[in-house]
Amino acid sequence: MNKKPFIFFIVFLLLSEICHLRSDISYAQTFVSPSFKIDFGNFNMTSGKKTSTTYTLTDTVGQNAPGQYDNNGYTVKAGFQYIYDKNIPLSFEISSLDLNFGSLTPNIGSTVTNTLTISTPTAHGYDILAIANHPLTTIGANTTIPDTKCDSGTCSSSVSDVWTSNSTYGFGFNANGDGTSSYFTNSTYFRRFANNSLSETAKIIMSENIPVENHSALITYKINISPAQSTGTYQNSINFIAVPKY
Amino acid sequence: MSNFNLTLSPSQTEFVLKPGVTLIQAYDVINNSDSNTTLNTEILPWIPSGTDGSVNYNQAINNPTIEFSLANSDLKIGQPFVLAANSKQQIVLKIKTNSNTELSDNYYTFFVSQNQNNTKSTDNFSQATGKIGSHLLLTVSNTENPKIESVIQNFSITPNIKDVFLRPIIISGKVQNNSNFFFKINGKITITKNDKTIKEFELNPDNVLNHHARNISCPDQNICSINPPLWPGHYLVKVALDPNLNAKLYETSFYVLPISPILFILLIAGIILGIKKFHSKSTPTPPLT
Repeated sequence: MNKKPFIFFIVFLLLSEICHLRSDISYAQTFVSPSFKIDFGNFNMTSGKKTSTTYTLTDTVGQNAPGQYDNNGYTVKAGFQYIYDKNIPLSFEISSLDLNFGSLTPNIGSTVTNTLTISTPTAHGYDILAIANHPLTTIGANTTIPDTKCDSGTCSSSVSDVWTSNSTYGFGFNANGDGTSSYFTNSTYFRRFANNSLSETAKIIMSENIPVENHSALITYKINISPAQSTGTYQNSINFIAVPKY
Repeated sequence: MSNFNLTLSPSQTEFVLKPGVTLIQAYDVINNSDSNTTLNTEILPWIPSGTDGSVNYNQAINNPTIEFSLANSDLKIGQPFVLAANSKQQIVLKIKTNSNTELSDNYYTFFVSQNQNNTKSTDNFSQATGKIGSHLLLTVSNTENPKIESVIQNFSITPNIKDVFLRPIIISGKVQNNSNFFFKINGKITITKNDKTIKEFELNPDNVLNHHARNISCPDQNICSINPPLWPGHYLVKVALDPNLNAKLYETSFYVLPISPILFILLIAGIILGIKKFHSKSTPTPPLT
């Protein structure tokens, strides 16, 4: 029996397998100069964000195996368009710091407002807490405007209630907007600030459990003094604290 | 009109560290306002409050075996500094655990607060100030993956009477952490009917702190719910957490009933019967002969 054809066949098979194996080898791009060498896993030849009035297109051309790959403990996002994922940092803004009530008239409520605005990163909600250093007090700390107890006489730093009567006196605030509905039913509901001089802790006045971008609430500060209120200049300081949900 | 507008990044950092090590964490503080602001830094311990990720600074106790300082050459914790309008400052926090630090979790917030302006006003006046914080979750452990034990609690499916059309079915519950170290919820809720998967929720990877519970939540609007319409029948609910969390598989079931269609049919039948009865009454009876 002539063994030559059989040997040729075996050699052919071996060579073709070697060629097949070599064809599976993938090469990364390499840039070389006398002073550097850069190896690229892949060579993205173009990428970007294209928009028109009706669409937005992000693309990556040249990426090996583009896409999102999730597994326990890690996520791989292959391709440039993932840099457009929203990555909002924690930001907190108070629109106006100087809350000037001017001169006060008994039995006529005086109000000023400012706005709290917050943004939180992915996976985090937020709490905004508030506390006053003390009730509105005359310089020299002789007399105070009492904190409001609302029309019912029962509201506190953690419980809101309706305050619309001109014969209910005190200082309080309302928050109306994003994340406030658990604390203030509507704009007629008020409460007093927690009082640091009584060792009270700051109370949450605005809170959401989901990531937000530029969510805001209008804070209305209200003073209504009785005719018996001593004349003077009443002042205090209110601290707003923004923290993410852990 | 002055305002407060700060960005603090990152908003939260989580570390597993051994006793007797030092690590650093850089924070970017950006003053987005158009005026210079005098700021200060502070580190406060906290404990979890409630089950939705809120914190309580009042009852927390500082761990004296963990030391915080700033690596910035020109800054110390508690030292005021001026951040110019529309500018950024990097603050580098150094965290050092002593060799005798207890193997457990410690939770802190790194605060950047605004120093109070000395506004002189002759009017009745309140001065608002702002403060922004970034949480630090520190696990002190000799191993990278300390042993964790958890359990699913207070699992409920509402409303009690589930109809095919009317209200969405809301799934709620808590994951209780029975270990000394925090973990992230990693799991899913699967709802099946006749062995066919109707809906699968990946749970949000929220942190569950040591010896504390956290509400489960789902992506998008945080609420795990199935919207009607649903076929009537028996539904099986399975809550499976990652095996590393050492929680038992939780299973329950509920029935969806065709209440609204039955009520609708009864209503239509009642109306038809009523009309028939009305017609039979209004038809004059023939006179007796």
